[in-house]
Amino acid sequence: MYSQVISGTLYGLASEQVIVETDLSAGLPVFNVVGLPDATVRESKERIRAAIMNSGFKFPAKRITINLAPAGTKKEGTHFDLPIAIGVMTSAGFIEKNQTAGFAFLGELSLDGCVNRINGALPLVIGLRNQGIEKIILPKANAEEASAIDDVMLYPAGSLKDIASYFDGGNEITPYERSKKGQPKLIRNELDFCDVAGQESVKRALQIAAAASHNVLLIGSPGAGKTMMARRISSILPAMTYDEKLEVTKIYSIAGELSDHRPMITARPFRSPHHTISGSALVGGGASPKPGEVSLAHYGVLFLDELPEFNRYVLEMLRQPLEDERVTISRIKGSTAFPSKFLLLASMNPCPCGYYGDPTHECSCSPTQIRNYLSKISGPLLDRIDMHIEIMPVKYRELVEIEDLDGNAAKSIPVRDSECMRLEVETARQIQLKRYQEEEISYNSQLTPDLMRKYCVLDKETKKLMETAFQQLSLSARAHHKIIKMGRTIADMEGAEKIGVRHIAEAIRYRSLDKLYRGL
Amino acid sequence: MSLKYEKINTERIKKVQIGEEDYPEMLNYIGNPPEKLYYIGDIKIASMPSVAIVGARKATAYGKWAAYGFAKKLSEYEICVVSGMAYGIDAYAHKGAVENQGKTIAVLGCGIDTCYPASNLMLRENILKEGLILSEYEPGVPPLPYRFPMRNRIISGLSIGTIIIEAGLSSGSLITAECAAEQGRNIYALPGNINSMYSFGTNKLIQDGATPLIVFDDIIDELGIKKSSSGSTLEIVLGKDERIVYEAILQSGETTTDSICRRTGKLPSDVNAMVTILEMKGLLQTALGKIFIAK
Repeated sequence: MYSQVISGTLYGLASEQVIVETDLSAGLPVFNVVGLPDATVRESKERIRAAIMNSGFKFPAKRITINLAPAGTKKEGTHFDLPIAIGVMTSAGFIEKNQTAGFAFLGELSLDGCVNRINGALPLVIGLRNQGIEKIILPKANAEEASAIDDVMLYPAGSLKDIASYFDGGNEITPYERSKKGQPKLIRNELDFCDVAGQESVKRALQIAAAASHNVLLIGSPGAGKTMMARRISSILPAMTYDEKLEVTKIYSIAGELSDHRPMITARPFRSPHHTISGSALVGGGASPKPGEVSLAHYGVLFLDELPEFNRYVLEMLRQPLEDERVTISRIKGSTAFPSKFLLLASMNPCPCGYYGDPTHECSCSPTQIRNYLSKISGPLLDRIDMHIEIMPVKYRELVEIEDLDGNAAKSIPVRDSECMRLEVETARQIQLKRYQEEEISYNSQLTPDLMRKYCVLDKETKKLMETAFQQLSLSARAHHKIIKMGRTIADMEGAEKIGVRHIAEAIRYRSLDKLYRGL
Repeated sequence: MSLKYEKINTERIKKVQIGEEDYPEMLNYIGNPPEKLYYIGDIKIASMPSVAIVGARKATAYGKWAAYGFAKKLSEYEICVVSGMAYGIDAYAHKGAVENQGKTIAVLGCGIDTCYPASNLMLRENILKEGLILSEYEPGVPPLPYRFPMRNRIISGLSIGTIIIEAGLSSGSLITAECAAEQGRNIYALPGNINSMYSFGTNKLIQDGATPLIVFDDIIDELGIKKSSSGSTLEIVLGKDERIVYEAILQSGETTTDSICRRTGKLPSDVNAMVTILEMKGLLQTALGKIFIAK
């Protein structure tokens, strides 16, 4: 008895339709799966046998052959459990053959016949939808995640038994109803910039970074507040658009990072891998490529705390993703590209002991040690970091109050919280999105030299300032573009049409590391 | 770890013995003058009036700026700058002379064919264009810690006076000051904040009787040189806001953007922009997040 059901397979972020063919014939009872299944698919035989029997059906004592067509591409993932089980049950006559037509099946089985959560549900559903499938039976746990796609009927299933009885005319399974109520579920970030006392200039710099996704390096002695502020950057990032959410959720779906609590990624990701991370964990890899931290940080922030502690060869791998905004992983089976458009936020001490330049602690490092420490960050990598921000520890006296020029109590600068900072960032981001809607980029840090000529016109006075800065601070030529792009963002922050002297002047302040590296 | 030394072309190395005509005049008057000196460059420079500028290898931006400034000032008056070609203050002292057409002498604590520290190779080449490098050690002698205090007596011995820019309490620069005192030469020290550990040594020297230098011109006055009137007094025009920021920095000496904001009630964006502009005008210096007055 022959039957066929539809399922899908993933390759990178893309997915393809797979026809699961089942044939039952007379002979010794064996169960074979062909069509290049990997270990998880081959193992599924045992789960399927138990699930069918524990759902109250008799497992056919026949020669069972499963073919996953097209047979030439490798298949992996536990989501083949359900389609294979349905195939076996259809061939055995437990399910009417023509009933399953038009349906696609995705799901992992447990031994008692329950349908469990799978990885990669969203990209699989998108792939199947693109190939014209309109009805998909999938695990209940994946329904909310897949409901991001609204032009396909989803049938969340709890168990194999329910599915069998549904095709027998029952109503155990109903199409998923997309709830409108919890649409923009904005999860309030618990970390807020109002916890940070003082450091207004650093907050301002992080705002600029957030507005146009400029990469940032924070330098400061231990305890100055680098990590504290870095962790709060997600609270000021602009909201994600629908397409961005979908793309990020796809990546998380494949990586298996979604759960019942987080079926959809709605907030920009913040990834902070430990510095012992391996190369393939950072950029992605594996025999069948899986996304790494740079892709999991897509449209969000990749925070590398204590940058010089990272393995140097691992850091160098960041160069391509930073440049191309995607990672191409080539394996013998072919190459896969994962997107990696992220804001790189890194922090470091100025020297091994951490106190070089600190006003109150003596640095115990030799000049050679400091030099070696700084040289762990290669020039090309540093080149890709737009902003260098030095963080000084806040003094107690400054925390409380200070006298101003005339001896009066200082004018108190209100501590700004994340919400008010985020609104400014949002405004600046909207200006950029509008300006670049005809272009292929979306924000200032992506400007190419060609587009800079169009959108970053400097007046005579501003050009003169740039020229002076070059001579006096001996800035490198590579700092030039970064400064102008930052100037563009700073101008956008206040809604200015043209980049003015003060915008560029402020931007120059954020290129301090050029000096540190030369000044030793 | 094996240190990599840059071998220098040995043909340029010359030697002068005590008692010979070219032997630096000033060294004849010190307690234990070196028997012989190896040198590259013009040995006549060693008989010019000179002032030593020394200080810690690990220096603050303030120290580096001051070392450069004093060297520049001395160069304007054709006084030779003597130092030890180490990192930090020494390097900036040499730089200040080299970049302002002054003469400079580097006294090494190792064989003259060795560039130590190796990363000062560029500086060494620049010094040699106009200046002199000398050492009492034979070519090939490696740089060992005990040799450096020994060469310090030559640094102070060659000079009329020694300026100590920055020194912690255990800095080798204090040894140079001691040598200068023994040799009866003048000792000048750059005062620093009393809470800066980079200035403990120099402040202590002042307490012990060294002459504090509070403006660059002080060194010229101290040496008794008549000042040329052509000193460039550049009139810099400041806007109102710039002046407010500038005055706030003047009041606090070394400060940060945040503390200027707190003092003036201005936004960090405005303060940062003005700091850059003031820096361009040469009134400020910034380093490692700190801002201080440069004039």
